[in-house]
Amino acid sequence: MNFNTNFLTITRWEFKNTLKSKKFLLIFLMQLSVLFMLIILFNSFAVKMESEEGISLTPSLVDFAALDIDDRGGLFKKYVNPEIIDITSYNDNNSLSRIEKGEIGGWLKVSPDSIERIQKGEVVDIVLYLDYSDPRRSVIKDEVNSTIQSLSTVLTRAYLPSTNTENTKNTSITEVKTSESLPIQLIKKVMLSVLLFLPLFLFGNIIIDSVVGEKERKTGEILVAMPISTGEILLGKGLAVVAISALQVAMWIIVLIGAGFIIQNVILVYLLVVLTAVPIVGLTSIIAAYAKNYKEAGIGISFAYIVVVGILIVPALVYISRTSYSANFSPMTTVMRLFTGETIALPELLMSVIFVIIMSILTFWIATLLFKRDDILFGPRPGPITLILQILGIKKR
Amino acid sequence: MNSDDVMVKIGSLTKSFGHIKALDNMNLDIKKGELLGIIGPNGAGKTTAIRIICCILQPNSGEVMVGGYSIYNDQIKIKSMIGYLPEEPNLYERFKARNLLKYFGELYGVPKNQLDGRIDELLELVGMSERAEDRINTFSKGLRQRIGIARALIHDPELIIFDEPTMGLDPATSRTVRNFIKELKGDKTVILCTHYMDEADLLCDRVAILNQGRIRDIGTPKTLKEQVHGDIILKVKVHQPQKIDTNRITALNSVEALNLEGNQFLISLNTREDISTIIDVFGSQAYSVNTKEPTLDDVFIQSV
Repeated sequence: MNFNTNFLTITRWEFKNTLKSKKFLLIFLMQLSVLFMLIILFNSFAVKMESEEGISLTPSLVDFAALDIDDRGGLFKKYVNPEIIDITSYNDNNSLSRIEKGEIGGWLKVSPDSIERIQKGEVVDIVLYLDYSDPRRSVIKDEVNSTIQSLSTVLTRAYLPSTNTENTKNTSITEVKTSESLPIQLIKKVMLSVLLFLPLFLFGNIIIDSVVGEKERKTGEILVAMPISTGEILLGKGLAVVAISALQVAMWIIVLIGAGFIIQNVILVYLLVVLTAVPIVGLTSIIAAYAKNYKEAGIGISFAYIVVVGILIVPALVYISRTSYSANFSPMTTVMRLFTGETIALPELLMSVIFVIIMSILTFWIATLLFKRDDILFGPRPGPITLILQILGIKKR
Repeated sequence: MNSDDVMVKIGSLTKSFGHIKALDNMNLDIKKGELLGIIGPNGAGKTTAIRIICCILQPNSGEVMVGGYSIYNDQIKIKSMIGYLPEEPNLYERFKARNLLKYFGELYGVPKNQLDGRIDELLELVGMSERAEDRINTFSKGLRQRIGIARALIHDPELIIFDEPTMGLDPATSRTVRNFIKELKGDKTVILCTHYMDEADLLCDRVAILNQGRIRDIGTPKTLKEQVHGDIILKVKVHQPQKIDTNRITALNSVEALNLEGNQFLISLNTREDISTIIDVFGSQAYSVNTKEPTLDDVFIQSV
């Protein structure tokens, strides 16, 4: 296969013409306005999450979180739901170091004379230590709150005639904050990741226009007659879209930083996001190469992008909840860790980079395979199953 | 034909689209510097043959050599040698005429220091210098065709292929396009696919008649016309055709063929010497007698 740098000519012209086109400028401006709206929306969402009427994100799972309880009276321990919280009793300050080591998600310290205090109708001191880097803390917090509410109700009913109800009502938790809350983590990690990766999904129409448009306008015939391989044609067109995405991602990062988001390791973050654009463009090229018209391509990318979003976002969410090593294959996980300033080992970084590179090669290879087939370009086009069987060598052309 | 003189050599070329055979064992040699016309009805396989020569389509079997290169192994080299104007000059609408030529010039690898000069020269040739900075989407079909021709010639190709270059154009623009093609004659090898027999007759050194994927006949327009109809056609309209003794006519040495269409006899003659004898045979039955030179239309209709 002859392969030269002719594709750069296509890239240069496609890039230049896209930037000049009114349609692109319109999309570009609309995207920026959407970004501003999202920032406003997320900020207001964050405020709500932090407030008392915030949205509960507590999942219901058996032994989901571990908690140390220092409750010599034994009253609180009895009421904590053991189906969700794995309770361990400790009566010393060793629990704090256990939190630091990640062995437990929190430590509930109830004053040793709790029963006497309740009997006297006095306030009971309860301190809940939570690991704010562990998202499961919200479950612990909810469960402790729920336990106190239940206990308070039981005690109120039992001691109503002789108890000072005001003191009972005021029983509450003292939170010692050591890091950000889950809602803030969600906003700053997941939502910022989504905002960073969003531009990559907004330029699918450009590659569709660039490839399917050649078929619909029948200009593809002239292009295929050029002394340039089909692989170079697709690569040239794809790179132009990657370049446009790179420009867009840069703009978005500037806007996000301007809006107060903290993005550490900004260069690495930028490069990894832009690198991720390559397999997405490759996948879009597969759809564009196979699609007969814009309508087919539009349906195709809708489904494909749902899968891509899943591949990107699910590992990131898994990482937040369980710090899974394998979740690093998703560039979104790596980007999320990079912009929060987390230390990333080289193998973890390479995992996502290699994944992106492999996917890029694979998607462009398939796209080229399809684009160079004259039956796909000029018809009669084989059906998807026939095509897969032909690619796998099971069926002859 | 010496192999050095051959620009395009097509041997046993077959191409199917599903169950439809577009080309069926097609064989054809095109000489260097020749202007070859390919004529044939719709669906004869003209465009398929051209697309295979241009390495746009892959054949099922057979061989095509262009300038000594095989379409299987040397596609990039072959594509560099060819200037192709498809049936519809679909051009990038948003481009300005000059930019379009520049884009294709760069893709064809025209040296940068020569490209601007070449573009000016071609725009001048196709009479589009004034519109060089206008966008393609402002052009009429005729103007697009001119830019299409300039695009096909941008890299000074050895082989130029025109697929129905005058289809849908007004007579004046058609004449202009034909003049461009005529100017290329001799310097370049040209393949011209056309529906217009007069165009093929006027421009082509040789004409190949393609039907159902096979070359049915090939030769110079003159030879083809002579082969099929002789030198002259005598058209005689009669009152009652059944009363004519046609055996007396076909027995004459100069008569090559006799056909009856309605009440009109079409008699192909290779000389004019027996015309008066034939008119005598018709006698008072004849009420209209005409002669005409055979055209490629006649050849085409007879061949297909």
